[in-house]
Amino acid sequence: MTVPETPVDGGLYAARQKIYPREIDGRFQRLRTIAAWVLLGIFYVIPWIPWGGRQAVLFDLPARKFHIFGLTLWPQDFYFLTWLLVIAALALFFFTALAGRLFCGYACPQTVWTETFLWMERFVEGSRSQQMKLARAPWSGEKILRKGAKQFLWIAFSLWTGFTFVGYFTPIKELAGLIAGFSTGPWETFWVLFYGGATYVNAGFMREQVCKYMCPYARFQSAMFDKDTLIITYDDQRGEPRGARKKGVDYKARGLGDCVDCTMCVQVCPTGIDIRSGLQYECIACAACIDACDEVMDKVGYPRGLIRYDTQHGLEGKPKRVLRPRTIVYATLLLLLAAGLAYTITHRNVVGVDILRDRNALYRERPDGRVENVYNVKILNKDSEEHEFTITGSGLPGLEIDYAGPTVWVGPGQVQGVPVRIRVPRDELAGGADILVEIQATNRPELRASGKARFIAPTD
Amino acid sequence: MFGRHPDEYSGKLRWPRLGQDVAIVAWPSFLVASVATMVCFAFIDPLLVGNDDYPPPAFSTRMTGYAVGFFFFWLVSALSSLLTLYLVRTAHPEPPATDENAEGGVRSTE
Repeated sequence: MTVPETPVDGGLYAARQKIYPREIDGRFQRLRTIAAWVLLGIFYVIPWIPWGGRQAVLFDLPARKFHIFGLTLWPQDFYFLTWLLVIAALALFFFTALAGRLFCGYACPQTVWTETFLWMERFVEGSRSQQMKLARAPWSGEKILRKGAKQFLWIAFSLWTGFTFVGYFTPIKELAGLIAGFSTGPWETFWVLFYGGATYVNAGFMREQVCKYMCPYARFQSAMFDKDTLIITYDDQRGEPRGARKKGVDYKARGLGDCVDCTMCVQVCPTGIDIRSGLQYECIACAACIDACDEVMDKVGYPRGLIRYDTQHGLEGKPKRVLRPRTIVYATLLLLLAAGLAYTITHRNVVGVDILRDRNALYRERPDGRVENVYNVKILNKDSEEHEFTITGSGLPGLEIDYAGPTVWVGPGQVQGVPVRIRVPRDELAGGADILVEIQATNRPELRASGKARFIAPTD
Repeated sequence: MFGRHPDEYSGKLRWPRLGQDVAIVAWPSFLVASVATMVCFAFIDPLLVGNDDYPPPAFSTRMTGYAVGFFFFWLVSALSSLLTLYLVRTAHPEPPATDENAEGGVRSTE
């Protein structure tokens, strides 16, 4: 990058120091572990689920069809995806208004994969202090072995992640066979490495920096906050003035608050902030500091909750409100949109028709005094069963339709082109007119679709 | 027991400037390119890109078309991010707030 330097505070861009979050156990960390297992489980298992002879969830890009269990989506159904993204965004707003950055702490892929990489790091390199000792130690056989083992685990896990990701787009069992035989296509290989590499770099190295520098949600989430939003907060009224003290001393008489200044809350923080300085946008609401502080409070015999989930109103001793205009509006919109999506998906038209004029001839005048136009009628069957269709035409008096009928079979998820001739008596025509072509399934009359087409005739 | 840890957070947890710049350019444009690719190819079949009647088509397979489309969008949006970053980084710093401009007197057209 060749951006000229602007005068900035020299310390502002100092090199990043690696953060070694101290491992911590507690209520919220167990909850996060469960969330990580469930979410990663869903991600890694779903491509392996079979469904009626194919993969249950397969975004078949080469065939331009998305299979989601019993549902098959076509490019024409694209608006469902848009709709789904709107619902996801609104759900994010709703949960943010309610309980702050729940998404960041429990569900964000960045957090979940970082956490998994931290587990592997701890498994190989040991606790926080052991890791820091290893980092400072000169290179030795053991250091190479440990660092190598960690890299091996990370890389293997990243590659598996990339493989799983591509398995959503290419049938995963075939892909596994191709990889075993080193015969994957160029794009499959590329995307496995691309996604695997992104996982490795994001979860292994960038970690909390992604949240701090790259995440737009971190910057705008405060817009959804109000004084009734649950946040992770340090109770300064109770804690300050902080300070170390000896056991059994009457700290209140010495003018000290409940915070013993053990800095555990800082050591466990994966983004390296001090929650006692107040709410900061770097905080990803992982609640590690709550668990750490509760443990310390238990040890020194003070009540828990010096750092806790609370609202600003709660801290001020005012009543807490969950139901308030903001949450009610978000919830109502969310429900309406979700219900609308469910209704539209279950009631969507699973057949479609596309009428293309034959390019070779505008029209043909027949010896019997009628004019003939030729069309290619494309019948689209998005249903999961085969259907038998009839084709009818209307819009002009005396219109006759002729195709290799009387019915056309179209398989599940297939498009069938049918050459159709339409004839109209010449004296009924002046130049041209619009006609309507309709298809209808014989066994289920509600499956029908129609399209307009131009019928062209001589002008004289 | 509760002394400060020697490796406690030192307040210098920042990326170097170049790292920030690369991230600020590459990441938002990646997000935008992903969305643009989805929207674009929901409406356009890569096999039909190019001349209808005269072979060969622009892309030999759909996967190639999707990939080329994605990287094209990424490149274009990254260029836009890069220009934005350049303009932001090279702007003069905001003038310090004085009584005069704090009241908007400088910009007033009346």
